[in-house]
Amino acid sequence: MSQQPQGSSATGQPNGAGAPGYSTQPRMEMEYLCADCGAKNEIRPRDPIRCRECGHRIFYKKRTKRMVQFEAR
Amino acid sequence: MPDGSGRTVRKPTFNTLEREKAFRHPPKDGSTYNTLNEFVAPHIESFNALFDDSGLPSGDGDGRGLINLALKDIGERVVFDGNGKGNSEHGVHGWGNRMRIWIDQVTIARPMVPEKDKTARERRVFPTEARERLTSYRGRMNIKLCWTDNSGQQQEMMKDCGLVPIMVRSVRCNLRSMSSADLVRHHEEPEEFGGYFIINGNERLIRYLILPRRNHVISLLRPSFANRGPSYTQYAVQIRCVRSDQTSVTNTLHYLQNGSAMLRFTWRKQEYVIPIMLILKALVGASDREIFEGIMMQDYENTFLSDRVELLLRSFKMYTMHTGDQCLEYLGDKFRVVLNLPEDWSNAAIGAWLIQKMVLVHIDSPREKFRMLLFVLRKLYATVSGACCADNPDSPQHQEVLLPGSLYAMIIKERMEEILNAIRSTIMTDVRNGVTVDFNDKRYFNKALSKVNFDIGAKLSNFLATGNLVSPTGLDLQQASGFTIIAEKLNWQRYISHFRCIHRGAFFAELKTTTVRKLLPEAWGFLCPVHTPDGSPCGLLNHLSRTCRLVTSPLAVAHVPALLAAHGMTQAFAPSIDGRKNVCVQLDGRVIGWARPEIAAQLSNNLRVWKTESKMDVPLDLEIGLVPESHGGQYPGLFLFSTKARMMRPVKYLANGKNDQVGSFEQVYMDIACTPEEIESGVSTHVEHNPTNFLSILANLTPFSDFNQSPRNIYQCQMGKQTMGTPSTALQHRTDNKLYRLQTGQSPVVRPALHNTYAMDAYPNGTNAIVAVISYTGYDMEDAMILNKSAHERGFAYGTVYKSQIVDLKDMHGSSKSSSTPSLHFGLGKDIPLSGERAHACLEYLDHDGLPYVGARLVAGDYVAAYIDDTTGRTKFVKYKGEELAYVDQVRLLGSDAGDSELQKIHITLRITRAPVIGDKFSSRHGQKGVCSQKWPAVDMPFTESGMQPDIIINPHAFPSRMTIGMLVESMAGKAGAMHGLAQDATPFKFTEQDTAINYFGDQLLAAGYNYHGNEPMYSGITGQEFAADIYIGVVYYQRLRHMVLDKFQVRTTGPVDPVTRQPVKGRKRAGGIRFGEMERDALIAHGTSFLLQDRLMNCSDYSTAWVCRTCGSLISLGYEDISLGEMVVGNSGSLKSTGPGGEYCRVCRAAAEQRDELERQALATGQDLQRPQADVRVAISLQNVLNRNSSKGGDLDIVAVPYVFRYLCAELASMGIAVSLEIR
Repeated sequence: MSQQPQGSSATGQPNGAGAPGYSTQPRMEMEYLCADCGAKNEIRPRDPIRCRECGHRIFYKKRTKRMVQFEAR
Repeated sequence: MPDGSGRTVRKPTFNTLEREKAFRHPPKDGSTYNTLNEFVAPHIESFNALFDDSGLPSGDGDGRGLINLALKDIGERVVFDGNGKGNSEHGVHGWGNRMRIWIDQVTIARPMVPEKDKTARERRVFPTEARERLTSYRGRMNIKLCWTDNSGQQQEMMKDCGLVPIMVRSVRCNLRSMSSADLVRHHEEPEEFGGYFIINGNERLIRYLILPRRNHVISLLRPSFANRGPSYTQYAVQIRCVRSDQTSVTNTLHYLQNGSAMLRFTWRKQEYVIPIMLILKALVGASDREIFEGIMMQDYENTFLSDRVELLLRSFKMYTMHTGDQCLEYLGDKFRVVLNLPEDWSNAAIGAWLIQKMVLVHIDSPREKFRMLLFVLRKLYATVSGACCADNPDSPQHQEVLLPGSLYAMIIKERMEEILNAIRSTIMTDVRNGVTVDFNDKRYFNKALSKVNFDIGAKLSNFLATGNLVSPTGLDLQQASGFTIIAEKLNWQRYISHFRCIHRGAFFAELKTTTVRKLLPEAWGFLCPVHTPDGSPCGLLNHLSRTCRLVTSPLAVAHVPALLAAHGMTQAFAPSIDGRKNVCVQLDGRVIGWARPEIAAQLSNNLRVWKTESKMDVPLDLEIGLVPESHGGQYPGLFLFSTKARMMRPVKYLANGKNDQVGSFEQVYMDIACTPEEIESGVSTHVEHNPTNFLSILANLTPFSDFNQSPRNIYQCQMGKQTMGTPSTALQHRTDNKLYRLQTGQSPVVRPALHNTYAMDAYPNGTNAIVAVISYTGYDMEDAMILNKSAHERGFAYGTVYKSQIVDLKDMHGSSKSSSTPSLHFGLGKDIPLSGERAHACLEYLDHDGLPYVGARLVAGDYVAAYIDDTTGRTKFVKYKGEELAYVDQVRLLGSDAGDSELQKIHITLRITRAPVIGDKFSSRHGQKGVCSQKWPAVDMPFTESGMQPDIIINPHAFPSRMTIGMLVESMAGKAGAMHGLAQDATPFKFTEQDTAINYFGDQLLAAGYNYHGNEPMYSGITGQEFAADIYIGVVYYQRLRHMVLDKFQVRTTGPVDPVTRQPVKGRKRAGGIRFGEMERDALIAHGTSFLLQDRLMNCSDYSTAWVCRTCGSLISLGYEDISLGEMVVGNSGSLKSTGPGGEYCRVCRAAAEQRDELERQALATGQDLQRPQADVRVAISLQNVLNRNSSKGGDLDIVAVPYVFRYLCAELASMGIAVSLEIR
């Protein structure tokens, strides 16, 4: 766990520099579910895939919160 | 039942509540269905046998596992630091210091999280992780390598041998002996039984292979043997000898025309033959007299035998070797180069080693080998003289099974042997090249080891992943590939069949003759006669019968020889045994004595009583093969077998009513009644526990299969395995490439008793449908069936296909090859506008992490993942390639082994809905498949007097020729069962001529108020009129097969064409066409439909127009002139080639004209006569073969329609110097 912030800052994107035209995107963390213990994990891009609770190495993406509606025909 | 008093509560027959309870609360102390663990036992126990802590009984051995037994057999390798030149500094022989190298210990650990990972709370790795992360389920293998230094001091070192695939639920698996509840907690099926390996996320298993029975001499009669060399004959005897570590050596004894015999064996895929006398002498130093007496066995009147033995002895005189030591030395001298043994060994030692390792390897002592070899020789002479017949190697009597664990052990042994050989040869190379070799220097040794590949795990993974055996010795097997198969979870029936299938061997698949495929009576009860595929693997790929076991644990039989001797057997070492009056008694291919035939029969009876009543410590799995004396039949004797890998099955012993285990060798000479009624007193010794025991699991599941014509049952065994059913109850944790799922499977009303035993209700495979047998609309012709549209709308046979899409950034273009810092990352880059009007289209499907929304709906070409390339800074997309509409069902983020790397690989499960459509295939359980031809509106369906409508209509013509009476019975039984709420027992052989199924179910139907025979008056749904005939309508369990039109349809008008020929490409995947081949062409010609022919072969294929020169007939000489410059005119003659309206001209003719002009000009200048050059070869084609003869127009070039390939052909021919000339008229 200790080397994780270091690792992320080393590979992290510089904020606000360059990229004219678009506003820079904040590094969004996403919530995933551990495949073993089911714990919610907030993982930022380029974080190692490892559950904070149990150290498991698989995550499931959560179902979207957006409305899912298809034409039912 | 409001009052509930008057009626007794009937015991439920569907067990719905019980099943639901077991499913909600899986048992915490064992499994729900115990049989499932039993039938994969040979897989798991044979794998367990690798280890010392296998939990198997130790038998006669010391409980050591196969790996340790193999280590003992491998022994040590010896290397010297001298070069063998006789200079004094390297000792007496000049070989220098002697280093012995051996492997002392092997450990294989359970699958664990690597040490690098500090955070994982659960250190064990479970199979589900391997499946979901698409990795292999492996444990670490270590060996202890030992060697001696110059002072003879033993040094040792642990070496890592990589990760070895571990069989699921074996003794090295973390799921070992877990209860159903625990299994479910670890994301497995509650009925998970293991027996397979997980390689790259796939479940693969080593399938059983049929091998010749071990340690038993079979006589062969093969004309091809005579071609082996001069004086060889067609006669031979063969014995496949198996060591305790399950590796084998096959010895073949060939009969020569001069009466002697040659022993053949294979060493590192190379065949060697040795005169049998040489070996007999070398074994025990036997005198000629000893050999003579040993073979003759007092049968001096038998001049056939004595002549040959005499010849045998005389012919050996030319070798001028008299003692055993001379023979050993001779052998050692000849084989020294081949065997790679220590250089300081004497010839005699090498000879002894050769005999120990290559001749009758199942026996250790030379004296016993000698005795056995004499028996082999006697059997050979008996075969030649016709006293006994040749044995049939295709009969299960002489067969056993290659167990997965045994094969695994063989490969491990061979790899370890190769490691030692590689170390030895590395050091020897160093010595030869003059590198300073110091055995005391550990650094040197390490350097030598670094050149040796220790990765056994990778080799095994490769073997399991491909099924290919890479082996320098061939492991005494006939094939080098096809050992492993994927255990497809298409449905439960297919899945469990994989673990019971048994293959004859890839070698036999190519054989032209069909003898190996024949169903033999010897296979009764061991191999299922019904469950074999039709087509090319028919009869080669069999399935074990339901009750057939494979012996996997060693038996304790060391006391049996003494026991038999105490009951009248003459000991093997007794002098002067009369071979005419005695038969041989053998235990596992070792002569333990001789007995008179009557005594042998008595012994066999005694043994059977003892083993069934477990007296005298005789194990139940001992096979007592008493071959009685006969005239020209099988060679007589009492052959006992106690080894592993034999097929055995339980039957009841009539003498004491106890359970007996019967092997495939002994069964041939036994009288086993199928049913108690069939027992003939004085003849039958045994009776089957159950008359259905000879069928495989799947064949047992066909209801009323005894009413069907037998091929229909074979078809059902095929179709049951292709059904869209319930592949797994742990669907959420599966990553299979493709899974088919039936949404609303039902428990069949009509099912055999075994349906429950094999957990079929936990994995339903079809639907109970109301089936009317009627020719109604014409849409049920030719095995088509009509589906009730309302049934379809209520979800009848609704299915789903789950497909996997894996996105691995490692394989993408632009990924850095160094694994430490990947250059590609999942996510949306800065070049993707996230909001506003210019928001990127991918945001419809992709989340901010670059992964698709779970639940998103995808059509072809939609985005399924986005990743950022660090080097370019741009975002790239991965698209959905499928043609069909799919929904994202799951997205898995897969980490690395140690959980220390960022996201590089995802697994997307896509869900594709598959409602039944016209063209989908359905089948009942009686080999009656059909295609849905219409979804007929419910209002127009026929109905019965009670208002019932059928779900399915099939045509009555499906029955007369196919004779699937079982389906008719099922229909009745289903109808009655549905009315009474009964699960009907459909086990075969339950009804008799006196007590018929028709009457039984007819009475039930009558009680429910129906017609006794299952017919009902029905009314047309269209006119409302009653049909003239009563219609047979009932409940039949229908399966939906996985063959669906959506995966099969192939249609095109225009589309991609082959770049070379411009003909349509082939293949459904590439939107290609269907070949209109020669025979189809013939049909059109025969019909005279020339326009259709023209359309198919020309207009819809590679129609093209081409310029052809009228003068020279060339298709390939087109040239263009720039006509904007005006028409070019060369020369002055009328034969000048002018250009066409587009400026096109024939380059050949123009060049010829120019040349002619030039020549004429020269002739004019010199005044000589003009000589016309002649073409080299001209082939005239008769006029009738010239197309389009009678049109003659002016102009030089013409446009003709030709197939494009023809132009290509002309060009190709031109490249070979052949000009094609078309005559244009």
